[in-house]
Amino acid sequence: MMHSRSIRAAGAVLIAAASWVAQAEQQQPGNPTPPSGAPVSPPASAPQGGGAATGTTITIVMPDGSTRAQIVLAVPPLANLAALQGTAGTAARTVDQTLRRDLDKSGIFRLQEAEELAVLSLTGDLGHDADQYRSLGAEMLLQNEIKQDGDRLVIEGRLIDLASRQPIVGKRYRGTFDLARRIAHTFADEIILYLTGKRGVALTSIAFSSDRDGEKEIYLMDYDGYDQRRITGHRSISMSPAWSPTGDVLSYVSYFGGDGPAIYLADILSGRKSPVITSGSLNSSPTFSRDGRRIAFARLIGANIEIFICRRDGSELRQLTSSPGIDTNPAWSPNGNEIAFTSSRSGSVQIYVVDAEGTNLRRVTFEGDYNDGAAWSPDGTRIAFASRTQQNRFDLSLVDLVTLATQRLTSGGGSNESPAFSPDGRRIAFSSTRAGGVQIFVMDARLGSEAEQLTFEGANRAPDWSGYLP
Amino acid sequence: MKPERSGSALGLCYIQADAGSTGVWVRADTKEKEMNTRRIIWMAVLALSMVVTACAKKAPKTSDVNANPVATPAPATDVNPQARPANVDTTEVNPLNDPDLARLNDYLLKQGLLGDVFFDFDRADLRDDARERLSKNADWLRSHPEFEVTLEGHCDERGTNEYNLALGARRSGSARDYITSLGVANARIRSISYGEERPQCTSSTESCWGMNRRAHFVVTGRTNLG
Repeated sequence: MMHSRSIRAAGAVLIAAASWVAQAEQQQPGNPTPPSGAPVSPPASAPQGGGAATGTTITIVMPDGSTRAQIVLAVPPLANLAALQGTAGTAARTVDQTLRRDLDKSGIFRLQEAEELAVLSLTGDLGHDADQYRSLGAEMLLQNEIKQDGDRLVIEGRLIDLASRQPIVGKRYRGTFDLARRIAHTFADEIILYLTGKRGVALTSIAFSSDRDGEKEIYLMDYDGYDQRRITGHRSISMSPAWSPTGDVLSYVSYFGGDGPAIYLADILSGRKSPVITSGSLNSSPTFSRDGRRIAFARLIGANIEIFICRRDGSELRQLTSSPGIDTNPAWSPNGNEIAFTSSRSGSVQIYVVDAEGTNLRRVTFEGDYNDGAAWSPDGTRIAFASRTQQNRFDLSLVDLVTLATQRLTSGGGSNESPAFSPDGRRIAFSSTRAGGVQIFVMDARLGSEAEQLTFEGANRAPDWSGYLP
Repeated sequence: MKPERSGSALGLCYIQADAGSTGVWVRADTKEKEMNTRRIIWMAVLALSMVVTACAKKAPKTSDVNANPVATPAPATDVNPQARPANVDTTEVNPLNDPDLARLNDYLLKQGLLGDVFFDFDRADLRDDARERLSKNADWLRSHPEFEVTLEGHCDERGTNEYNLALGARRSGSARDYITSLGVANARIRSISYGEERPQCTSSTESCWGMNRRAHFVVTGRTNLG
């Protein structure tokens, strides 16, 4: 069992009370950020590229409308790392590296690490050292201690507010060596929750399709690209994975039954697959309702492709849309009341939103002649989508559902498709041809820049980011 | 040739055995299961009848000529190639009777029969050349009522995977509508869309994209008339 304790001091009230709102930001000119140096290189199999915020200055908008820069966080090297041998030492380094990566990726912090901190003369006495850190502009200090206890690691971490010299988050975790990454993710999410009021996404997972093993199958990876694993083995075409909101199952499309594309569920823990809709034609593009009980999808009826809804066992099938032409690629809204989808009903390919009861239809994209791949922001205020900007190229855009104002997120750098928001709304996963082939990247949802590549093997598409997993 | 043929008939049996296990797996509703079971039984009967047919055809021939001249070579005497033994029947093998549907489709492709229908970028309506091609295909299908076909809709890589799946279905649907209007029975045609998932040409060039925007005919079965 993990034992935890948290110390919250009055000195942290200003920061602890803040809740950062993800919204469009401009880069601040004339305030360059030094690159954050990684003291230890990641393993060869690890995804490359910096975190979303590396080398970028981000301002953070407070709920009251005021803004502030990223928190400057000093993270000195682990002091007693040399004392840990073998597996314990490796696990301790994994905790340390993973935690740094998680905090960096959160975009809330600008990390000051070994290289930058080397100029300081530290004594180990916080009263003295706090001023040293502050002389470099640091506002907070993360002090971690990792010890071995038999076959377990004990990690004790403290986030210290340097102005008040008070610890504002204190946690102790104990776990077997193989849980190193999970422990780091848990601590990182805890720190981010404390500072922003919103859980971090370090324990979330991204589903995608890949042909790396031959045929197109469904895969999963951790939010940072680690632990990529195949979860189907149909040796057919399997595509379009969609998470249930509870994270227990994925819905997906596969041709393996032999009668064209059909919709299935894959249970994440047991690996068991079960059919949802296997009769009828062209069953495609499943999306879960917010309560996880229903699935919307596209299917062929007569000469038209329409959106249908059924329960997750395939029962209670009903038709949602009815128009000549193509209606496809539904995306259920976070509040569960609406469904966005793609339609050719106007003559061009555009995104529409309709109530889950089929009423109140409205068009939400108006620029260009081919917009598809609607992905709701978790707060339900915006939809990210792929917009064709050239004959063979798409770029990602965001549309505000109140003003219908659009904002371009990518520009150039190959074709960018299939956006999917992280559950905190801070990041967007997508597929891109920018590095050759088709790979999955993650970028900052506000800046649309600094994309980090997560996949490297085969053609990888259709990322779908899980919600917060239990 | 003959052992190969009976071998492929056995191959069909194996394929049906696989489909049987899938059928057990797919247990969404009883109606569908029933249909699957019926189909599997039917296919199994078909496959079995093929084996029987292959064997039945093979048996009398072996009494006429040695089916395997390599295993038991002929006596090393000079043979006049012009001189045919009087007791050998020469039968012209009709490739359209080939139970191996993959080989049958290869044959059709080489003969330019049931050719592909091509589409414009982002479109599913039929061009003039497509109508012309479909008329020929419809003629052939009407004169060969023994075949069932699958009409595959395909797209080029431009466009999103999801939308292309729908566009492929529309392409397959346009082609199907046209040939049924020319008198081909709807029941003989199965439609499927592969969107951009199964391109026949994989480079990102205009000519390649043009080749991939197609409705593709595949003979996938025989009717009772066969």
